[in-house]
Amino acid sequence: MKSRKISFTKYLMCYHVFSITGLPPVPSASRTGFAEFSVRERMREKLKAARVSIQNDFPSAEEAYKFFTFDFDSEAERKKTGIKKRNELNHEEEEAEEEDAETHEEGQEEDETVRTKMPENMQPRFLEDEGLYTGERPFVSPSNLNILENRILRQERWFGDDGKILALPNPIKQSLTRPPIFSLEEGIEPELETLYRKAIKVTAANQYLVGSGDFQGPFQLDIDISGLIFTHHPCFSREHVLAAKLAQLYDQYLARKQKNLTTLLTDKLHALRNAVQCSIEGGDAAAPKPIAQQSIPEYKMEIRQTRRLRDAEQEKDRTLLKAIIKVWKEMKSLRDFQKFTNTPMKLYLRKEEVDQRLDEKAYEAEIQDEINELLEEYREEYEKKMEEYKAELQEWKSWKRAQAEHTDEIYESDLGEEPVKPVPPKMVNSLEIEQQVREKVDSFRRKPGEPVLIPELVLSGSITPSELCPRAEVLRREDVKKRSSFIKVLFNSKEVSRTVTRPISSDFRVHFGQIFNLQIFNWPESLKLQIYETTGISSTTLLAELFLPVPETTVLTGSAPIEEIEFSSNQRVMLDHEGVGSGVSFSFEADGSNKMTLMTSGKVSNSVSWAVGEKGVPLIPPVAQQNTGIASALKSIDAIASIGTSGLTDMKKLAKWAAETKLDPNDPNNAALMQLITVATSGEARVPDFFRLEQLQQEFNFVTDEELDRSKRFRLLQLRNAEVAEFRNYKEVPLHEREISEKIFQDYEKRLRERDVVDSKHYLDARRAVVANYLQKVRESVINRFLVAKHHFLLSDLVNEEEIPSLGILGLGIFKLAEPKRPLKPRRKERKKVTAQNLSDGDIKLLVNIIRAYDIPVRKAVSKLQQPSKHSRSFNEMFTASPSAQSPGENIDWVLNQVLVRPFVEVSFQRTVCRTTTAEGPNPNWNEELELPFRAPNGDYSSHSLQSVKDEVFINLFDEVLYDVGEDDHERGSGIHTRVERHWLGCVKIPFTTIYFQARIDGTFKVDIPPVLLGYSKEKNLGNDRGYDSVRNLSEGSYITLFITIEPQLIPGESVREKFDTQEDEKLLQAAEKYEAECTSKFPSRQCLTTVIDLSGKSVFITRYIKPLNPPQELLDAHPNSSQITAELVARYVALIPFLPDSVSFAGICDLWSTSDQFLHLLAGDEEEHAVLLCNYFLGMGKKAWLIIGNAIPEGATAYVLTLEQNQYAIWNPSTGCFYGQFDTFCPLKNVYCLISCDNIWFNIQEYDSPVRINFDTSKAKLWKSFFSRSSPYPGLSSIQPEELIYQPSDKAAVVELQGRIEKILKEKIMEWRPRHLTRWNRYCTSTLRHFLPLLEQNRGKDVEDDHQAELQKQLGDYRVSGFPIHMPFSEVGPLIEAVHSTGVHTIDIPSVEFALAVYVHAYPQNVLSVWVYVASLVRNR
Amino acid sequence: MAAGGGPDVFLVSVSGEIESGQFPGLDELYCKFCFVYGQDWVPTAGLEEGISQIACRSDAAAAALVWNLPLDITFKSTNPWGWPQIVLSVYGPDVFGHDVVRGYGAVHVPIEPGRHIRTLPMFVPESTSRLQKFTSWFTGRRPEFTDPRVVAQGEGREGGTIFKLHFSPNFCL
Repeated sequence: MKSRKISFTKYLMCYHVFSITGLPPVPSASRTGFAEFSVRERMREKLKAARVSIQNDFPSAEEAYKFFTFDFDSEAERKKTGIKKRNELNHEEEEAEEEDAETHEEGQEEDETVRTKMPENMQPRFLEDEGLYTGERPFVSPSNLNILENRILRQERWFGDDGKILALPNPIKQSLTRPPIFSLEEGIEPELETLYRKAIKVTAANQYLVGSGDFQGPFQLDIDISGLIFTHHPCFSREHVLAAKLAQLYDQYLARKQKNLTTLLTDKLHALRNAVQCSIEGGDAAAPKPIAQQSIPEYKMEIRQTRRLRDAEQEKDRTLLKAIIKVWKEMKSLRDFQKFTNTPMKLYLRKEEVDQRLDEKAYEAEIQDEINELLEEYREEYEKKMEEYKAELQEWKSWKRAQAEHTDEIYESDLGEEPVKPVPPKMVNSLEIEQQVREKVDSFRRKPGEPVLIPELVLSGSITPSELCPRAEVLRREDVKKRSSFIKVLFNSKEVSRTVTRPISSDFRVHFGQIFNLQIFNWPESLKLQIYETTGISSTTLLAELFLPVPETTVLTGSAPIEEIEFSSNQRVMLDHEGVGSGVSFSFEADGSNKMTLMTSGKVSNSVSWAVGEKGVPLIPPVAQQNTGIASALKSIDAIASIGTSGLTDMKKLAKWAAETKLDPNDPNNAALMQLITVATSGEARVPDFFRLEQLQQEFNFVTDEELDRSKRFRLLQLRNAEVAEFRNYKEVPLHEREISEKIFQDYEKRLRERDVVDSKHYLDARRAVVANYLQKVRESVINRFLVAKHHFLLSDLVNEEEIPSLGILGLGIFKLAEPKRPLKPRRKERKKVTAQNLSDGDIKLLVNIIRAYDIPVRKAVSKLQQPSKHSRSFNEMFTASPSAQSPGENIDWVLNQVLVRPFVEVSFQRTVCRTTTAEGPNPNWNEELELPFRAPNGDYSSHSLQSVKDEVFINLFDEVLYDVGEDDHERGSGIHTRVERHWLGCVKIPFTTIYFQARIDGTFKVDIPPVLLGYSKEKNLGNDRGYDSVRNLSEGSYITLFITIEPQLIPGESVREKFDTQEDEKLLQAAEKYEAECTSKFPSRQCLTTVIDLSGKSVFITRYIKPLNPPQELLDAHPNSSQITAELVARYVALIPFLPDSVSFAGICDLWSTSDQFLHLLAGDEEEHAVLLCNYFLGMGKKAWLIIGNAIPEGATAYVLTLEQNQYAIWNPSTGCFYGQFDTFCPLKNVYCLISCDNIWFNIQEYDSPVRINFDTSKAKLWKSFFSRSSPYPGLSSIQPEELIYQPSDKAAVVELQGRIEKILKEKIMEWRPRHLTRWNRYCTSTLRHFLPLLEQNRGKDVEDDHQAELQKQLGDYRVSGFPIHMPFSEVGPLIEAVHSTGVHTIDIPSVEFALAVYVHAYPQNVLSVWVYVASLVRNR
Repeated sequence: MAAGGGPDVFLVSVSGEIESGQFPGLDELYCKFCFVYGQDWVPTAGLEEGISQIACRSDAAAAALVWNLPLDITFKSTNPWGWPQIVLSVYGPDVFGHDVVRGYGAVHVPIEPGRHIRTLPMFVPESTSRLQKFTSWFTGRRPEFTDPRVVAQGEGREGGTIFKLHFSPNFCL
């Protein structure tokens, strides 16, 4: 029954597969295609016919019973019945369809038995025949089945008389059929007893995660490494090389011999020739069959091809043999030459005599055959050509004729191509062919009668013992003995085992003979061998790696053949003995010609196979594992990569296999596979051509990327994480998307958008806007560059650790112990430093201690004292000279003068204002501490953010003026009515960053006092009792002594530790590093500068910045006679370029130095740029000038310029344009660290570094350590500065427009600051002031004040005027506004006050603008 | 979750105590705690930082130093990122009576509600060299973190900065 079914299924299956492969894919559900349907229909008809035919032969009930109760199990008996029955049947089918018929009959027989079980008028239905899958039933013995069926069919009595199912009263058996379980322990139910099982190692789950979950346990891969043979080794002697070559050739020979292609082809040729012969002869005899006729050319074609192949093979055989003999001869001659033998190789050539006559005959016959064939071939060709020729000739002739007929149309036809008269082909001469053939045959075929040479390679030769060898050879042999080798086995690139180390034998073979059993869980990804060679004791080198193929599942241990895998290594070895080395060229010839280079190579003989388990089950990781993998892979194509594409690459093969094995397409087990094949063959699924590292990423994806991109919340988080300025300190990102408003991103997006759009609204000047934009970009790029570096920490950033105390400190400590205690002399204690990170608003305070001021301008009694100031000065001088001679009246005047100023100081920082009490006199002493809170921008107290605080501390000096406002006299009697007015006198500005970096600022500063203070005079108030004042008076101006610090003390952020790109020479850099290290080790507090960073972020050697450059011609022409004034003018020009500290713009990350042209272009820079430009100008003007790197107050570390003028050193402050003599006590430069010129650097190694106490003579090597000296001279570094600076004249019209705009803005601002008062503008005064300003510019703010006062007085009459011009370099409007605001002009709230404001902008070349703002307040005197 | 007028936040309320510590060979230690949390977290109630009394070794509970220092703090947040961590640092006198750090440790506040017991391994940074170890022992200025919060942060540990740590035993929370 079963067998029948199977044959049937097969029949159908073929059909299925056919339909699947042949037809476009149909859904599996509707697989019953049309073709099948027709087949089934046919089948059914046949069955019907058969049924009809056996109808009359229906067996009786008795017969059937017998049939079923007897055991008809055996096939033979069944056959018999089949035959018997067949005899009774009428055969309608033909004999050709015998098998079909048999199927039918069996169907009938089955049908018959089935019919008895079916209700009447019902046809049996075979689901399987319909193509549906029916599965396989478990085996039940047919007799049992029959009994049961019969019982159901025949025995009617299923129910008892009571209507219940017939059954025993108790169907349960009395006795146990299963042996009872006895528990070993008492009291425990045997079923519940615990059993000890040995722990099973839980193997790592399936590597690929997909795939079937059931794990079949460890598998085993046996790797047999039997040995290693070097085909080349560095220790090979020349003879070895030849021997290896010989062996190789011999191997080739053997392989060829085994294949014996020549004989095979010769035989084939003969056979073909015979066949042709036969068919031709047969064709003569009988009627020519068309098939034979057709096959003759094919045969001939094949003969030709075979002959060609055979000839090639023969030639190869011959050359091989020749090569063998040649190598052997070479070897022999080498052995003779070197007089010793290294290899046991010997070649015997066995001659096999042949029968000369026969041989000759065969040879000749062969030649003749070939000639004939060739002739035939040529003839054929000739004929073909001839035909072509004829056709062409015909054509040509017709053309000729046509031409002859139409001679008048000759022109037209001339235009056409004139066909060339064809040449008739040549017939080949048979003699020529014969000669050709003979020549060819001679060259590679054995001559007739020549004995057949059979080479035999034996290893029976004797090797010359070492004693008889020359020294070099002995050395070589010893070296070989030292060498040994081992092999590592790597499974999935992990070393799993290695062989023992075995010495390399003298014939360069290593025998391992080890088998490694690898227990594995998964299908191996790679198997690799690594061959190592050890020389002597220590050195181990990896010679080569070779991959072993993973064996097929059919390769099992025991049956696996030993395979040889070749390897070669590219190592280069040169030896000093006979060994030829590897990768080194050597030659066999005496003259060294014909060089050859050999690489270490060899063969590993190994076999890899799958182990066979205890029960003979091969321990192979199931292939099914891969199959299921494919199936699930189709479901989610993404995971395909996870199982490797190996299964899918051979989709076609898989389909073919499925077709061949005839899988049941309806079996649900095969469903996935069938679907896969359907899809694959239809070409819909393709192997993905991508490779994915994280193949399961998609499974873990939270949402799709698009959704993630759309999420505002995620974007916010991302931006914050990226530390984008706007979001860096964003707190509490909302929980829900809906709570994030679009507004948050607006600013950011606006900034991104406007990055390239120049907005001139804020800048008043388009050029500056461009520059600001550029600076912003530089800044951004620099910041982005350092954002990463900022997150790098050093150990010292995280861990506080005490330094190892040096001996000096220890000594000092001991000394200190011995010191007498002086409790009355308090010492300054070091404050504890606080890292900025854990601070919050209100934690930081700025402490400003205002101690005293000197030489504050004093009020002038305008209307009463109309003395010219010059006169008064001389008077005073006289007065000082003879203090005893003063008259009482004058004394009173002097006293009055003293009280004429009541100064106080107001400190404003971040718009918080604090003031001191009012003191009296021009030399007040306050000694007050003011406390100002500090707020970091965005509440970010990281050092990074603190460094970029741009706020400045304004220390403003005011005069408090009290005015009596009593209306009339009787009021005066009863009360005091005064109005307090304050008049701005001057200010000191200190940037917060300076305080932050310096930790404290302590010193006396020059107060920035406007050149003209209306109503005030800078009288030299000389106190007769203050002797040192005369010293101080050498320099002009007022001074204020301050002490500023931050509480708590903050640790300034360190500069970024980063190595920059550079284009400097490596040697120079090393020298620079060494120089710096030497300098700082001697004077750790002195800064030594050798390389700086340019705008593009590259380090540049500092001297490259110094180069003589031309100042604007305009400045040089202004005062041609006085070089002093010209120098001052140039310094002023440099100072007019706006100041922009790098550490602010680049957040303290690093100090960037721009070249002078960049600086002039950007019109912004810090001290270094100013200093470099000034120094370059001075050099350009022919002065001797240096750059000073030093420390100054209030700037801190800075750069100044030193010039040598008439044997006097002058120090220039480039950011103010002032200059000081070397011995000027008020020089802001406090320490000098190094000097830089265009070709050298000098480091100050003097005891002191104050400019007053040092010698600036750099030629003294004891005082100045120079970078380039005689031993290492200046290499002539090219400057990075341009050849010449080109200045663009400023646009006058734009300047005038700018002037108007500034004035308008400032006026608006002042009105804005006085919201509760009316602001009146006095036009007269304004116009007068406007006239003053150009004059001020001309005189650079000197010696004009008196004229102003007088002029104003004249113009306005009885007004009390207080005002002053403010002078600033122009960068933006913001600082101007800030400066005007800080003077507090607007704070006057007398009802009748009037204001005047005038602005003047003076343009210097290259758009350097000097801005003057004259502000004044007027109160009418009554 | 708190639903109300303002933006939605969730609250994490932590209460517990620093029970005891085991520091074999050490006595008279006190501990400090503080919380480290992300930018989106705001403490709404309770103490963010605290310091315990000096505890002496008890004879009863196997040489444990019992502090029983209560913790009680409530955070509100909008983002689980930066989940609060408790940072503990334990100090005590050394042989010369200098107050030195005996251990740092950090642990996340449990993310599930309920009662949890956490045992923290404590560690201190080691001196970089033998000589420094000696001098620091002698002077009583042992290496310590610039900020105890470092132990709860990942920054600065990505290979650039490697410091040796000396582990002291456990600590119960």
